[in-house]
Amino acid sequence: MKNSILALLAAGLAAFAPLSVAAQDAAAPAVAEAVQVVGAQTAPGAEAGVGNLTPAEASAAPAGEGAYIPMAPTEGKGMPTSYEDDPLKSMTFQDQYTANGEYALGMHDYVLLPVITAISLLVLGLLLYVVMRFNRKANPVASKTTHNTAIEVIWTIVPVIILVIIAVPSITLLARQYETPPADAVTIKATGYQWYWGYTYPDHGDIEVISNMLDPAEAVKRGEPGQLAVDNRMVVPAGVPLRIQTTASDVIHAFAVPSLWFKMDAVPGRLNEKLLTIPEPGVYYGQCSELCGARHGFMPIAVEALPPAEFAAWVRAQGGSMPGEEAAAAAPAAPEAAPAAAN
Amino acid sequence: MATTAEGFDAHHDHGHDAHDHADHKPGFFARWFMSTNHKDIGTMYLIFAIIAGIVGGAISGIMRVELAEPGIQYLGWWAQLMGGASDVNTALHMWNVFITAHGLIMVFFMVMPAMIGGFGNWFVPLMIGAPDMAFPRMNNVSFWLTVAGFFSLLFSLFVPGGTGPGAGTGWTVYAPLSTSGSVGPAVDFAIFSLHLAGAGSILGATNFITTIFNMRAPGMTLHKMPLFVWSVLVTAFLLLLALPVLAAAITMLLTDRNFGTTFFNPAGGGDPVLYQHLFWFFGHPEVYIMILPGFGMISQIIATFSRKPVFGYLGMAYAMVAIGVVGFIVWAHHMYTVGLDVNTKMYFTAATMVIAVPTGVKIFSWIATMWGGSLSFKSPMVWSMGFIFLFTVGGVTGVVLANGGIDDNLHDTYYVVAHFHYVLSMGAVFSMFAGFYYWFPKMSGRMHSELLSHIHFWTFFVGVNVIFFPQHFLGMQGMPRRYPDYPEAYHFWHEISTYGYYIMAGSMVFFFVNILYALVAGKKAEANPWGEGATTLEWTLPSPPPYHQFETLPVITDSMDYHDHRPATA
Amino acid sequence: MAGKANHDYHILEPDIWPLVGSFSALTFTSGMVLSFHPEVFGAASSFVMWAGLAGLIATFFMWFKNIVVEAQRGDHTPVVQLHMRYGMILFIASEVMFFVGWFWSFFDFALFPSPLEYDAATGATTSLFGTEGALAQFIPEGMEVLDPFALPLLNTLILLCSGTTVTWAHHALIHGDRTGLKQGLWATIALGALFSCIQAYEYSAAPFGFGGNTYSSAFYMATGFHGFHVLIGTIFLAVCLYRAYLGHFTPRQHFGFEAAAWYWHFVDVVWLFLFVAIYVWGGWGAEFH
Ligand code: HEA
Ligand code: HEA
Ligand code: CUA
Ligand SMILES: [Cu+2]
Repeated sequence: MKNSILALLAAGLAAFAPLSVAAQDAAAPAVAEAVQVVGAQTAPGAEAGVGNLTPAEASAAPAGEGAYIPMAPTEGKGMPTSYEDDPLKSMTFQDQYTANGEYALGMHDYVLLPVITAISLLVLGLLLYVVMRFNRKANPVASKTTHNTAIEVIWTIVPVIILVIIAVPSITLLARQYETPPADAVTIKATGYQWYWGYTYPDHGDIEVISNMLDPAEAVKRGEPGQLAVDNRMVVPAGVPLRIQTTASDVIHAFAVPSLWFKMDAVPGRLNEKLLTIPEPGVYYGQCSELCGARHGFMPIAVEALPPAEFAAWVRAQGGSMPGEEAAAAAPAAPEAAPAAAN
Repeated sequence: MATTAEGFDAHHDHGHDAHDHADHKPGFFARWFMSTNHKDIGTMYLIFAIIAGIVGGAISGIMRVELAEPGIQYLGWWAQLMGGASDVNTALHMWNVFITAHGLIMVFFMVMPAMIGGFGNWFVPLMIGAPDMAFPRMNNVSFWLTVAGFFSLLFSLFVPGGTGPGAGTGWTVYAPLSTSGSVGPAVDFAIFSLHLAGAGSILGATNFITTIFNMRAPGMTLHKMPLFVWSVLVTAFLLLLALPVLAAAITMLLTDRNFGTTFFNPAGGGDPVLYQHLFWFFGHPEVYIMILPGFGMISQIIATFSRKPVFGYLGMAYAMVAIGVVGFIVWAHHMYTVGLDVNTKMYFTAATMVIAVPTGVKIFSWIATMWGGSLSFKSPMVWSMGFIFLFTVGGVTGVVLANGGIDDNLHDTYYVVAHFHYVLSMGAVFSMFAGFYYWFPKMSGRMHSELLSHIHFWTFFVGVNVIFFPQHFLGMQGMPRRYPDYPEAYHFWHEISTYGYYIMAGSMVFFFVNILYALVAGKKAEANPWGEGATTLEWTLPSPPPYHQFETLPVITDSMDYHDHRPATA
Repeated sequence: MAGKANHDYHILEPDIWPLVGSFSALTFTSGMVLSFHPEVFGAASSFVMWAGLAGLIATFFMWFKNIVVEAQRGDHTPVVQLHMRYGMILFIASEVMFFVGWFWSFFDFALFPSPLEYDAATGATTSLFGTEGALAQFIPEGMEVLDPFALPLLNTLILLCSGTTVTWAHHALIHGDRTGLKQGLWATIALGALFSCIQAYEYSAAPFGFGGNTYSSAFYMATGFHGFHVLIGTIFLAVCLYRAYLGHFTPRQHFGFEAAAWYWHFVDVVWLFLFVAIYVWGGWGAEFH
């Protein structure tokens, strides 16, 4: 393990990795600097700051910090939008960055929302109509009708039909969400603690990332949304199937990222598992979504999806190894790893 | 009293028949603390519910003020007021205590006592032509157990509950937050609060079912029974069958907390999700318990002010039965994210949506009742029409949540908060106000001011919509529930929501002034202040009714249908 | 007191016991909380609980005494007796749902034992499926359970037998045979007491303690609540026996007795489910004590 890291170090791909674990706790100011640097390097409009860095640039990152520089979030992506920024966006779902999320969002926007709006307006319209048409002045003598089989059948059958129309995409969505992760999916286990998250990477030498909320003021200084930013993110490879597992050590928490349409409870004594694929690099924020005690509101989630190569670099910076690497590392690991990491 | 079993003493006489027996009332203490009179007990329930509503509403005010801006504003101050330490965790714990108390008070001590204890007690016997409830003494113990439960909840606020004083588990009391996650007596007090109130409700349910089955006036078949009575009947069955399961579940919490059992403790093989199954097996029927009596009241009121028999009476009655039955098999829609398997989730998605059908039957039948009617917009009627619209809005967002795949995003966000306040704080509460204005003249013998009640309606309508409509936006943007603080992005809609609270609070002034006005200076109410549309038996009695009514039972003749129970002479 | 009332319903005088009973219940539950938490309230606080319990017992006593007095007075007309029948059936229905809660957790544990190894210290979980092919076990390896076909079977027979003796008493009562009524009741009460004694012995000799795992939790809580119901039922029957000596029941009117008998049968049926599910099926394959 240590050897492989040293080998990689020698290859110059993941500099200064041994510091990384310690750095997780101590590196706050350094990270702030790094963000500044990234900000400077990112061209306006570029989707993902760090994502565009070449390995060469990455290794040119400030000394003492390693190849990994936390990605700067993109405004409006993977985070809530305020009314001031965009009134309409602040009134609906966050933009979706997964296929299932898009499907679900489409189902909401094109099926559910129109249907429920129409039903509500229909009821409102009928009420207004009877107010105008059947008030005591307009209709002094009440009819005595109490039955009309035809209409009763209609208002039973039509809702049934509407519900069936809703049920079809709904069931499809569920089936899609429950696709089993492929065997080679990257496993990441999120453990809820009172009150922070721990992310372990069993496929990557069991590295563990402890993720605490950043002080909101500090977060804003770094260009991240307050109360959503964390000191150490859950870093994942983009475009690759992820097997997300959740559990908890004390009470129930829930791992939730709205822009990925992903929410799964972290229950002590249980291991929940679900497939997640994030096609695009980026930072996606979420929050603990099950009441877990005093600081339930203060254990946010930040998922940083990186291109696989940079993810690999990050893994090494954490002192982990890519799957199948450990054995290779003892031998001439560096040349082999180099092309893989550079693509 | 006629039939006496052989060999028994003759019925002894009380010898106080000097003046009209029916209106002979006991002295103050005996009347209010030892009551066996359904109307007095109903009145106490209503007063209790109003007090609880003020407390629960005030707590929601504290919550809304705190949420008006990001950051923690007032929680520390409250924590210290309750005797807590001055650190951050204690302050944040206070938030959880507030939402827990708010939820429990509103559900168990405001809506249920008002609807079932209050209106149910008052009007089930009157509407079926009975002199009282079947078990008058047990009726009283139901009430006092509810009060005792409320006290137990109050006790919990002032004793340690983990990271601060009070029970901060949410009204759902999920384990293990409520077991190993909350040391100290507060959660025990809160659990016993539910035991006490629950026992009261189970006894009440037995009482209502027995009364409705056995004490209907001669000739009043089940299919001639007013829909409000039907609604209480179905509700009572839901209570009877759902509450004991909750009692078992929270007893397991207690033994896990204090005696080392491991029902919900994974270290001993237990399963925290089991608690959720047990809780929601109760909890989902519970939400219909809170709305069905409202459905019943709305049916009476719409028919009265349309001067028309209710449309599709049998459909209306059996729709409630259907809602009650299906309500027992949809519980896991509250647990879509716990890690259910896909088939379970598909089943609960489908089953949940089914409830929209009988509910739709009710909505459309109310509108059909008004159709062709001769509508007068007295205060109960406007509240009822407000109910129909706002309940629909809350109901259809329920259908959105019913989709397991969609709920993956919305679960535990403010969208859910918006959903259930539309059905509760607008559905249930609107129907309560409708019922209150409908029956207030009957209960008190005084007329309230129609002007004030209309002002109350419109301002309340605006207020609650401003509070809760923006919460849909917050939820969709991802704002989680049970958060005392939030990222700046959610600021705007939270602030609007809090403004809505101020409007709503101002509106309640009109309600209280109206009651005071009516009691002090209100016009005397006639037996039937609402005119020819009011055809159920309570309107055949003076306002207020005599202390003991129907000493001679009314008779429903074959010629009367379900609609009109007035004797031919009236 | 239905002075001029023209109906057969029972209109009651005001009564203090509902108030006393409710606040005794509150005192009792609060007292329990106090005694759960000596760290907060000090050790000597259990007297509150006992005070509450005393109030509750007094309430039950007075309440039922009043009912008996009213019954003897003739207030219980046929329709009022019908009320009581409904009331009792509904009460039993709610009791059934209470036991559904306990059986639900029992079957959850037995059918879906936790498939995980759980480390309470770290909260770490490892799936037992796959790793070593070991399925999770409901009854932990090496745990001994009670042999269902020893004392539990005897208890089953005792309860079944008591079901017949209570029916004997009922038949005697219907046929005006007071001696038979008393004998049947005596026998039932004796069998009930015997059941409770055996159960108490079995608890004290059981090879496993109260807490610690799901089997023992579900076992003790379910059988314990059943045992509590046996006690209540026995007391109920004893009251009936006492009333029988007072000459209270008539062949035509004896609902107090019938309620006790229904209750007893309910307790009996619950035991059958407990026996089959928890003792026989639940302990299948495990070591017997
Ligand atoms: C009075 C109380 C009440 C009522 C009546 C309802 C009614 C419904 N509720 Fe709601 N609900 C709550 C109170 C209530 N709910 C509470 C308190 C919670 C949160 C608990 C907590 O977690 O703290 C909750 C949560 C909740 C959830 C879980 C959300 C989550 O936590 O993730 C779901 C999911 O399925 C749901 C669904 C429904 C549905 C489908 C109905 C249906 O019954 C609605 C049916 C009505 C209509 C649909 C409108 C009228 C119909 C028509 C006009 C006909 C045509 C309509 C169609 C064809 C769609 N509710
Ligand atoms: C019936 C139920 C009910 C009612 C009426 C209300 C009413 C209100 N609720 Fe609440 N609420 C809940 C049930 C209810 N709520 C529940 C169950 C939760 C979840 C708790 C949890 O997470 O565990 C919750 C949570 C909840 C939250 C989310 C907290 C969080 O997740 O962090 C918020 C936030 O704004 C809120 C606000 C309000 C407001 C502003 C009102 C206002 O509308 C209040 C205004 C007051 C009234 C409308 C009452 C007036 C009535 C009377 C005075 C009695 C009249 C009597 C007669 C006519 C007889 N409530
Ligand atoms: Cu962790 Cu909420
Ligand atoms: Cu529900």
